[in-house]
Amino acid sequence: MNETGPRVWRLLDTGLRPPAQNFALNRALLEARQAGESPSTLRFLRFTPSALLGYHQSAEQELNLDYCRAHGITVQRRITGGGAIYFDEGQIGWELYLTKAELGTADMGAISRRICEAAARGISALGVDARYRPRNDIEVDGRKISGTGGAFDGDALMYQGTLLIEFDVERMLRVLRIPAEKLSDKAIASARERVTSLRELLGRVPVLAEVKARITAALAKEFAVAFAAGEMVAAEHTRYQRALEEIDTPGWVNLVSRPASDAPILEASRKFAGGLLRASLAYDSGSARVRQVWFTGDMFVSPRRAVADLEAVLKDCPVEELEARISGFFALREVDLMTLVPGDFVTVARAALAAEIGTAR
Amino acid sequence: MANVKGCNLPDDLYYNVENNVWARREADGNVTVGMTAYACALAGQIVSVTPKKAGKAIEQNKSVSTVESGKWVGPVKTPVSGEIVAVNEDLAGKPASINSDPYGAGWMVKLKPSNWDGEAGGLVTGAAAASAFEAKMNAEGFGGCSQA
Repeated sequence: MNETGPRVWRLLDTGLRPPAQNFALNRALLEARQAGESPSTLRFLRFTPSALLGYHQSAEQELNLDYCRAHGITVQRRITGGGAIYFDEGQIGWELYLTKAELGTADMGAISRRICEAAARGISALGVDARYRPRNDIEVDGRKISGTGGAFDGDALMYQGTLLIEFDVERMLRVLRIPAEKLSDKAIASARERVTSLRELLGRVPVLAEVKARITAALAKEFAVAFAAGEMVAAEHTRYQRALEEIDTPGWVNLVSRPASDAPILEASRKFAGGLLRASLAYDSGSARVRQVWFTGDMFVSPRRAVADLEAVLKDCPVEELEARISGFFALREVDLMTLVPGDFVTVARAALAAEIGTAR
Repeated sequence: MANVKGCNLPDDLYYNVENNVWARREADGNVTVGMTAYACALAGQIVSVTPKKAGKAIEQNKSVSTVESGKWVGPVKTPVSGEIVAVNEDLAGKPASINSDPYGAGWMVKLKPSNWDGEAGGLVTGAAAASAFEAKMNAEGFGGCSQA
């Protein structure tokens, strides 16, 4: 601790790597922080083209593996939670290694919020209006520009996020096994409305050094620290080699393996007075949960972002809570649905579920 | 039954306070392990759980299961060493039981302990557990289980 200035945390930049290396570094740096072998750290990282599973996900359920194989896209499992993503050279990763003691709280939701809000200020400094959207996204005007997730080990934690500098939505749709996999123009257009990138918003690709500098500055300010460029310590190199031996294997990639048939994508559409409303649900029969919902159709909803916000509220929703979450969402905010009513969203989601639940129960 | 800041912490369980886990010696000598109500409150709603497999020997303070909540993934560290003799298969389909009933339906694994007598002494129980958790909650700026 330097008594005349702010605390100093380490800044690491590990460059462009395949995902196994990046995740072995996650494991190594987190373990080393927990063991007290290393300082708190901000790391920037980049990925060669990859399809990245959340820790508890199954490749068969989440990804179009044929497409990944045919296009040289590496499939890997993260050590953090959340959903599958496509990641290539057009995005940058940022992650913090800290201790709960330094944060003064062990409340995981509060930690996510604090880090995401600071990262959003850094992204905003690039000239966009980025905001934290609970629980794990950073968005600009309702469109996702960064997804985040974390891992912890005792008092130490690692929290990581993406930042979409340039992003190929169509490629993402082909990699992920999501309802939009049908790849109609409408589906692509609908996905485009939910995701954005710095290039799209700024009309140019900011240089990486500027992106890193803005995020670094915002995190330095939030945690009242200075960042100094550093290198990995010896103990981290040792832990990295050990972690790589575990992670750079098919056994790790297939650690969770469930058939795609247990995670059906359910769809229904209904004609209401206001037009057609369609719901696509990614459903997990094992836990009777709706993992994700997409609403599309002839909607004239204002503000437009309300649909994306509703979808965010419905992530990982137990079937029995679906109706309450939808009603609760509309009860809490001003949304102009024109001729639709909140019950229409419940009706169409229930219709999508009906066939599956009818046979499963 | 102790209640600390709204968190239920049964007196008869043995706790590792740092790792926020409990152990219960069953009549057959095996030990049931799970997360505390406080750990659940900090985590928020748990959405996924992947236990280690039955038959595996796990050392004290090593992970017997991995849980996910709010995209956070972390280990559940066993308070005592032993071989896993049973895992709670119901949690895969109903991970919410961990939050709603952490000492009952939300149990994680049962171990055949390899050194209960040697290791249990390092765990806390009864009133000592309540005061240790209260100190931990204060240090971590925790508001209370009801608000979490």
